[in-house]
Amino acid sequence: MTSDWVLFIACGAGVALLVWGLILFAVFRWRVRSSDDGGLPPQFSSNNVLEISWTLIPLALVIALFVFTYRVEARVEAVTPRPAVSVDVTGFRWGWTFAYAGGPTITGTALAPPQLVLPAGETTRISITSSDVNHAFWVPAFLFKRDAIPGLVTTFDLRPVETGTFQGHCAEFCGLQHALMGFTVRVVSPADYTAWLHGGHT
Amino acid sequence: MSATTAPRIEAESNDLLGWLTTTDHKRIGILYLTTSLAYFAVAGLLAIAIRTQLARPDNAVVTPEQYAQLFTLHGTAMIFLVVAPFALGLANFLIPLQIGAADMAFPRLNATSYWMFLFGGLTVFAGAATNEGAAGNGWTSYAPLSEIAISTGLGQDLWIVGIFLVSVATILTAINFVTTAFIYRAPGMTMWRIPIFTWEMIATSLLIFMAFPSLAADLELLFVDRNLGGHAFDPAYGGNALLWQHLFWFFGHPEVYVMILPYFGVVSEIIPVFSRKPIFGYTGLVLAAFAIAGLSMGVWAHHMFTSGAVDDPFFSAVSFLIAVPTGVKFFNWIATMWRGRIVLATPMLFCIGFLINFLLGGVTGVMIASPPIDFQAHQSYFIVAHMHYVLGGGSLFAIFAALFFWWPKMFGVKLDETLGKVCFWLLFVGFNVTFFPMHLSGLYGMARRVYTYPANGPLPELNMIATIGSYVMLLGVLVFVWDVIVSTRRHEPVPDDPWGGYSLEWATSSPPPEHNFDSLPPIHSERPVFDARHPELTPP
Repeated sequence: MTSDWVLFIACGAGVALLVWGLILFAVFRWRVRSSDDGGLPPQFSSNNVLEISWTLIPLALVIALFVFTYRVEARVEAVTPRPAVSVDVTGFRWGWTFAYAGGPTITGTALAPPQLVLPAGETTRISITSSDVNHAFWVPAFLFKRDAIPGLVTTFDLRPVETGTFQGHCAEFCGLQHALMGFTVRVVSPADYTAWLHGGHT
Repeated sequence: MSATTAPRIEAESNDLLGWLTTTDHKRIGILYLTTSLAYFAVAGLLAIAIRTQLARPDNAVVTPEQYAQLFTLHGTAMIFLVVAPFALGLANFLIPLQIGAADMAFPRLNATSYWMFLFGGLTVFAGAATNEGAAGNGWTSYAPLSEIAISTGLGQDLWIVGIFLVSVATILTAINFVTTAFIYRAPGMTMWRIPIFTWEMIATSLLIFMAFPSLAADLELLFVDRNLGGHAFDPAYGGNALLWQHLFWFFGHPEVYVMILPYFGVVSEIIPVFSRKPIFGYTGLVLAAFAIAGLSMGVWAHHMFTSGAVDDPFFSAVSFLIAVPTGVKFFNWIATMWRGRIVLATPMLFCIGFLINFLLGGVTGVMIASPPIDFQAHQSYFIVAHMHYVLGGGSLFAIFAALFFWWPKMFGVKLDETLGKVCFWLLFVGFNVTFFPMHLSGLYGMARRVYTYPANGPLPELNMIATIGSYVMLLGVLVFVWDVIVSTRRHEPVPDDPWGGYSLEWATSSPPPEHNFDSLPPIHSERPVFDARHPELTPP
């Protein structure tokens, strides 16, 4: 996903700088100065070669971007058949429930946000839904979010690499305390994860 | 060739009753414009309240309830009551003048549209006077949040009814525009000679026909759910919570182009005049408008990538494709300026500001058409920045360009140029200081529609910068108001064509008489007034 950001920012910055440059060049090069005699410049108004090329070149660029993004998306959304950990996530006003398959169920609200503990380097399957209105499970450090929608269960895999504690939020406006509907994700080594699972879940 | 039977013109009195009962397209246009500017003033002050609350973390300028109502009314008003209807007002004033007609095809229907728009907006704002306050679920009012079980207040119902009135008014106006442009063109005004602004309004009207019925249906379903015991969006009774989003964005994305195509038209009118050249690539600009309109009907689910329920790459591909015709327009505008004689009057400055700001909104638009990027950017301040670069830095700058450009035609008074340039620079600097940092706030994890944010990390600084920028913008708007007051009181006489205009509205007096034209120049190209001024250059 980082590669997608890098490529798009690079392409976007390139296109933006080129077009901004053309605009500002035209404005400064051909602006009327105080010695304006009110005269007319050449009255040209079309050029087929130019017009076809500034249609086809951007077309080729966006097709290339689409092919690239399609491959990244397939990788991001791929789910493994046998994840190491499975967690059912349920959003509600205003908190989260993390129910581990064969493990604890952790619930927290805005005042006492819950913590999701994940093993580093392993795949965790998240199945997400909501028990009231739309919410969204967002961990900015993972560059990823997924909506929690009542009546709909969707799944995705998380495979965090770095250990550490990361802040998460609800990203879909869900009422007054939406702003405080946070949670944390603590990524630990697999050994620490096993200890956490069989210990006191702290 | 067109029919020449114009509607019968009756003298309208210039008193209050004359304005209340008017069916003159110019008066209705001015009513639309002033009403949308009044809503703009209110929605802008709401934005200042939002930015004041967000200036520091854990601020308590407003309560969470008030904050929800603030961003809901701000977004609703800017989209439904300012940016879209300003374009309708401008088109009301301009289309008959640009095609050499005496009025719109259906003048009374036109008046009906205006009054439905005015009262629709007032109905939305009336929610603020109810016990539980105005609607507070954002301009998108997603169900099930907006269902009666959770949003119990009358404000949400008033929002539904008000927006429904506005959407019906918009459809009626679109019927009027298309009929007028197709039927009431003056002799010689072939379709390939009508000004780009009128073309863009035809494309906009077709989008309105396709998109707004979907919004009306969505609003009706929500109204039935809330008041008549329906369960359209309630999964517990077999409803579907995602249905609201599908119907809403089937309207909502085309609506973005309803709010931008008219302003593409505005800059396509102004840039050639102040470059002293014809518009470059007329045919390409028209075809690009229809390409954008067509493609925009097939991208709605890119607002739902994170739902996990619409993974079809079709929506991403079509979203990317919209960049192509939009790019064509940009290159045409630059080619229009190329080797021209560029006069940096206030309308032209606002057009250049439009180009510079909108470009960034377009680039970030291509970024978020990529689902892996959208997974981070969606519903964050990155999106807030993106859409404000499109609708604020884009459409709003074109609104000011249009005001400065056509003000003399509407009121027979030219706005002061020095104050106009001060207004431009305050708005341009203020706009970018406000909204550029929001890209970063979003990437650092700030979600939309939050009344507070964590006090650690870079968010407090970024938000303080944005708030300072918003005050600079407020100052810019105040300078505009000052300009209007000063220029109106000075009331210097202005020639009929103060800028050296091209299209037919500059061939009549300022302001135009009730029947629009005493006589029309011959029409041999898309800029008949230029041809009349330069007979030596006129094609045979």
